[in-house]
Amino acid sequence: MGNGGMGEEASTQVQVRFTTKLPPPLKVAARSVAVPSNLTRMGLSEIVNHILSVGDSDHQPQPFDFLVDGELVRMPLEQFLLAKGISAEKVLEIEYIKAVIPRKQDDPCPHDDWVSAVDGSNKRFILTGCYDGCARIWQDGLSTHVLEGHSDAITSVSIINKKDMESSSIIYVGTASKDRTLRFWKVDADEPSKNLKKVEPFTVLNGHTSAVQSISSEPSGDMLWAAKEADVEDESVSLKKRKSDSDALHEKSQLEGSAISTLNGHTQCVASVVWTERQTLYSASWDHSIRRWDVSTGENTWNMVCGKALNCLDIGGEGSALVAAGGSDPVLRIWDPRRPGNIAPVYQFSSHTSWITSCKWHPKSWLHLVSTSYDGKVMLWDLRTAWPLAVINSHSDKVLCADWWRDDSVVTGGADSKLFISSGISVS
Amino acid sequence: MAKKRVETKKTPPLPPLPPPSTPPQEMPEEEIPGEEAGDGSGEEDGEGSEGGAEEERGESDAGVAEESDSSEDEEEHIGYDIAGKKIRKQAKRDKIDSFLAGVDDSKNWRKIYDEYNDEEIELTKEERRLIGRILKGKTPHADVDPYAPYVDWFEWEEKGMPLSGAPEPKRRFIPSKWEHKKVVKYVRAIRKGLIKFEKQKEKPRFYMLWGDDSSSAENTRHGLSYIPAPKPKLPGHDESYNPSVEYIPTQEEINSYQLMYDEDRPKFIPRRFESLRNVPAYESAIRDAFERSLDLYLCPRTRKKRINIDPESLKPKLPSRKDLKPYPSLCYLEYKGHRGSVKSISVQITGQWIASGSTDGTVRVWDVETGRCLKVWEFGESIQHVAWNPLPDLPLLAVSVGQDVVLLDTGLGNAEEQFRAKELLHVEEDDAGQCDTKPLVRWLRHDKLDAIRLEHSKAVSSVEWHFKGDYFITVAPTILIHRLSKKLTFNPLKKLHGLPVSSVFHPSRRILFIATKKNVRVYDLSMEKPKFMKKLEPSIREISSVAVHPGGDNVIVGSKEGKLCWFDMDLSSKPYKTLRAHPKDITNVAFHRSYPLFASSSDDCTAYVFHGMVYSDLNQNPLIVPLEILRGHASSNGRGILDCKFHPRQPWLFTAGADSVIKLYCH
Repeated sequence: MGNGGMGEEASTQVQVRFTTKLPPPLKVAARSVAVPSNLTRMGLSEIVNHILSVGDSDHQPQPFDFLVDGELVRMPLEQFLLAKGISAEKVLEIEYIKAVIPRKQDDPCPHDDWVSAVDGSNKRFILTGCYDGCARIWQDGLSTHVLEGHSDAITSVSIINKKDMESSSIIYVGTASKDRTLRFWKVDADEPSKNLKKVEPFTVLNGHTSAVQSISSEPSGDMLWAAKEADVEDESVSLKKRKSDSDALHEKSQLEGSAISTLNGHTQCVASVVWTERQTLYSASWDHSIRRWDVSTGENTWNMVCGKALNCLDIGGEGSALVAAGGSDPVLRIWDPRRPGNIAPVYQFSSHTSWITSCKWHPKSWLHLVSTSYDGKVMLWDLRTAWPLAVINSHSDKVLCADWWRDDSVVTGGADSKLFISSGISVS
Repeated sequence: MAKKRVETKKTPPLPPLPPPSTPPQEMPEEEIPGEEAGDGSGEEDGEGSEGGAEEERGESDAGVAEESDSSEDEEEHIGYDIAGKKIRKQAKRDKIDSFLAGVDDSKNWRKIYDEYNDEEIELTKEERRLIGRILKGKTPHADVDPYAPYVDWFEWEEKGMPLSGAPEPKRRFIPSKWEHKKVVKYVRAIRKGLIKFEKQKEKPRFYMLWGDDSSSAENTRHGLSYIPAPKPKLPGHDESYNPSVEYIPTQEEINSYQLMYDEDRPKFIPRRFESLRNVPAYESAIRDAFERSLDLYLCPRTRKKRINIDPESLKPKLPSRKDLKPYPSLCYLEYKGHRGSVKSISVQITGQWIASGSTDGTVRVWDVETGRCLKVWEFGESIQHVAWNPLPDLPLLAVSVGQDVVLLDTGLGNAEEQFRAKELLHVEEDDAGQCDTKPLVRWLRHDKLDAIRLEHSKAVSSVEWHFKGDYFITVAPTILIHRLSKKLTFNPLKKLHGLPVSSVFHPSRRILFIATKKNVRVYDLSMEKPKFMKKLEPSIREISSVAVHPGGDNVIVGSKEGKLCWFDMDLSSKPYKTLRAHPKDITNVAFHRSYPLFASSSDDCTAYVFHGMVYSDLNQNPLIVPLEILRGHASSNGRGILDCKFHPRQPWLFTAGADSVIKLYCH
């Protein structure tokens, strides 16, 4: 390696050329620059900002992230080159992207109790579930609606009609609770919200014999699944699918629905379900397994055992096929179920220090993830580096839930009864 | 000879014939057969007469004494006749007469003078031939064939009729006992390896022609003290008397040698000589000899024997901790809220909730997953023990407070379960009025908490449920068994041997373990009366806690001196293993329900996790491997961890500390 001897001197220089896919105001001329090889990300960012400000006088300095060969630079440049075995004598092509970090921290939205669930799939508002049994809708830092009815803590919330929610102002919300019921609510999000509006559930679904842990709706919004705690007696765990056809619900409100099918297979509490496509459903359980189910036949098409009790699960990433899951250890693992016969995780992120409570893929980006943990930290991850992109330390207690909102914000709720919104995350 | 010659004969003594010393072989055999025949007939006649005379003599033998002695030559008679008259010798013929008679008589050569009978005998032809054959060393009679073919007259083949009519004896059919014994002896010796059949050692195909003197194996026969001298290096080109030029050091090099240390300096500097006779004598011969003598003189003569034993190899082989995963190792969750030391915890059978009792007088129920405190009950008195009902659909909690045991409905089940629990906890206080006979325990309603209160006569130290969830046992300090569905209380053991510390039910059978301070007694409850089954003697100072393996055949006992005893009930009443684990009192021991794990908690603020594998194979002893020391609790008033319990489904351990914190250790 050519840079082996050079690395020892402090003043070694590397020829680099900055490239980018960013739009013109942030583009630098494609010529090579000699930079000191001991520069870190911050130094490189300063250089790029300096070049930009030379070309454009009203340029606001901003942090960048740098990619060499599809990998984010997270250490001094010479160390990085040494570790990757890249020759320092050639002109190094460094691509820069906007750094994925929260630039703005909004004021926390206070709750009465622990915030256990959050859904940010609607751009206009945030839906949260709380341990006091109420779900709330937040708009601009204010609670506009309170969905009251559960007698115990809400464990999971989901906005059902995701597809047509942009057009219609009426939205349907499903909540799962520890009181063994699922409830459905109809909310008119657009009505003027001067006062806090209380909403009553229009459907209550009974049938689970234990606390309902997770709810996930089918992409088209016709049906939803709920996962429940383990039924100890028969050692089988069921996922209940409930039909909640929108038209039917309009007419037969206040009627109880019933489970369409039950998927048996897990031996312990099912902690999380994700319904990705119409026919496939993923579930993670405390019995250390992740299973994929065929919805129409009820067949278990993929079963993966990981050795730890799992708390959360999300599907996303490349081709919406990667499975991210976290559980009773501080490691966030990502599997690729398309790899046959390989149960080793393809990525492992282990910067947390306690249990991971939730993980979410960015809805647009294939590379970005957010994860929360009992250690009170929220971490943003990029698949291209093993270090977290950003650590949000705003919570003072366990963080229980997180979701992306409006593609550039992360909403998190925790045991400190607060909902934090970290915005300004420029995921390209 | 002379004595026998008592026989008398009247025949006069004959003049001695020329001895027939002349070998008969020389005799010409040209005798005419006709002549012979005539001779033979004449002879026979003479013999016949003689035969009669001999018979006469034989008779005379008896009467006549033998007087005539040695000098028969001198005597004129040869004997006496029957009448006692002397038989006179024949007149001796002189030589000439006899010669002449011989010349005349052609048959003279075959005449023999018989000195005894004093007569001349003429040998017949047969006699002559006989003598000739004897002389030749042949059989006397010519018609005897010495080499005649042998005729085996014995009939070897059986002809149906045996030679003897006796039946075959039994011994012919019985194999020899002594042979059999001998064979058995050899077989045993071979099996035991006392007799070894040495295999023919194959000679190696290739061998060192002059032996391998580097190996000392062969040299051992010289005695242990023999150490072969190191082999000198074979000389190379530079030791030649006329080496190539490149071996010769230059003058500068030789000078530089002088600057070197003695040890580094080359011992030999190559030099060049024109011819071999110019080579001088070896300069340092005397010096070398001296040094060699010095070496021999100073060489130690004793060989030190040193045993090199790797201390690692003496340790028992234990499997690696990595292979025994999963086991609890790190604390991830803390359950905070108590204000006093947590005395007891209990995990619900589904693993969703834990209950804890503390000295601050509260019982709390926590959500395991989030660490949230779900319920709090105030009792106002220090809680001794809490225990969940082991039925998953009956979330009842038994709490021992002071002299009472309270059965709480936690209200965590669904509506149906709530209803069942309510019904179970309904109790009529009909016996409140009649207190003539003091019952063992009074079942009272706890109005404030809507629960049952069992009033004991003394303080209750522990409550344990039977696995079916109907019976539970209290130690107060008498052993009392209660039945929830009938609201009844029994006292099965009237007499207790020692003060009971703790008592637990067998995880699957109707067997009760009662731990007193000195030993553990096992009772069978399936009979009408409890039957004493076994006594386990840990031989430790004071038992503090006892736990039964979910299989039911193994028991661990923790002691107040920090020792942990593992009992295999099938083996003996003595501990299978005693682990000296903690420096302070062990407060509780626990088995995992499904994983091969057990743990002990102690007042030294640590909890030990062990791998305790019990095999279904009865020949294999349980495998016990210490895995992890769990730290993290703070000491408070000299107490450390007061209780430890495993999660029923995950390899997780809950520990309750005197520092009012409950910790969850995960894998």
